[in-house]
Amino acid sequence: MKKLHLILLGAAVLIAVVFLSFSSERMRSWQSGYLRVSSPALQAGSAISGQVAKLQKGLKTLDQLEEENAVLTAQNNELRAASQLSSDLASENQRLRSALDYRERSAFKLLPAQIMSRDASSWWNTVKINRGFAQGVDAAQPVLTADGLVGRTTTVSKDISIILLLTDENCQVAARVEGTNEQGILSGQRVTGNASPELVLNFLNRDANLQPGMKVFTAGVSGAVFPAGILLGVIKEFRARELDGQAIVEPAADFARLEDVFVVLGSK
Amino acid sequence: MIRGIALFASIYLVLVAQEFIPPLPFLGGAHLILVPVLFCYGALWLSFPVMLGLALFTGLLSDLAFLHVVGDRVEIGLGWSMLFYVLLGTALQPLQPLFREGRWEVHCLAAGAATLSLLLLQYIMVCLRRGSFFFDWTVFWHLAGPSVLALLLAPVVYLFFSLLPASAPGRRRGGGLTR
Repeated sequence: MKKLHLILLGAAVLIAVVFLSFSSERMRSWQSGYLRVSSPALQAGSAISGQVAKLQKGLKTLDQLEEENAVLTAQNNELRAASQLSSDLASENQRLRSALDYRERSAFKLLPAQIMSRDASSWWNTVKINRGFAQGVDAAQPVLTADGLVGRTTTVSKDISIILLLTDENCQVAARVEGTNEQGILSGQRVTGNASPELVLNFLNRDANLQPGMKVFTAGVSGAVFPAGILLGVIKEFRARELDGQAIVEPAADFARLEDVFVVLGSK
Repeated sequence: MIRGIALFASIYLVLVAQEFIPPLPFLGGAHLILVPVLFCYGALWLSFPVMLGLALFTGLLSDLAFLHVVGDRVEIGLGWSMLFYVLLGTALQPLQPLFREGRWEVHCLAAGAATLSLLLLQYIMVCLRRGSFFFDWTVFWHLAGPSVLALLLAPVVYLFFSLLPASAPGRRRGGGLTR
């Protein structure tokens, strides 16, 4: 190896070490800058991926219509296609109406946002939303849907924020089980095989009488990110371990189909 | 020169595009990870100083794209990927003569091995940070799936860059690492 190459290699390693010495706040501000620079590319990607999803949805409907063709007449097919079209519009209308209704009846000041993209890494569960500090979003704010808690904001740039999903092992929430005194810590799992995985509620009493179907809410301990009373999910299974009890919880929010979310900016 | 610029640009574009590719259910929910495939091509083609520039660029962008800061805790800090790509590129440079002879399979194997090493190192660091370690089939697929895909997609990347002119007219091609 040439001497010059060795010097260059040393310099490159030194640059990496300088970055490694950054504080978490400084790293977050670098990431915020990256999101700001990448914002046009991410927005364009989000728009294209939305169009592709619509196209795929359209193709699926055509497949279904082909299956129905075997049993229905051509006229019936036309009517079914028309009906399918209007029901798509009706379901979209219904979704937007329920979102608007939830925003109005909620006790929190909510900021509507849309999911732009999902984390492409293997070990973390995050999404990016199209709202940032320009719209009043700050780090460590809860994010939810009408169904339940989704996660919390981490890095916030001008127009884009990163949301750490409830399905991530790092997103830990103090939780209580409806109708009992049972409290524990709810979190996701380290590695999951699907987009809407189960959650685990740890540190429960090992002799707790928890039944499948019981609802789990945020406990809202003082100084915590999440206010009390937000639905997290329903208990699917309870198992007593050597020292404590653990419940498997089905998340209330549908993480596989997240589209519209709300950032909790504060109380009304 | 042209290939070099194309590599820098495509690494950024692929990092953004990857976010819109959903996890693959037939590979246990693993993601398609293309950045190491592109970087390996660069490491086997570019001269040593330019390769180092590409390594720092790739590492910085990868870290910024996947930085995971919760509260004051950072799982894998800014700089680790830079270090990884610098060392990976340095390790691949002696294979440049083989690659320039047209041995495209060198790139394939390097891309698969680089993706596997990157994911394995990330997983080990995450486990160390979280204080526990486990390994099951889901973890296996999250490691093996992207690596196999990288191996399979490497010839496409090779073909794409081979179609681009190596350098601007009148420019000499840069030499690799020499003893």
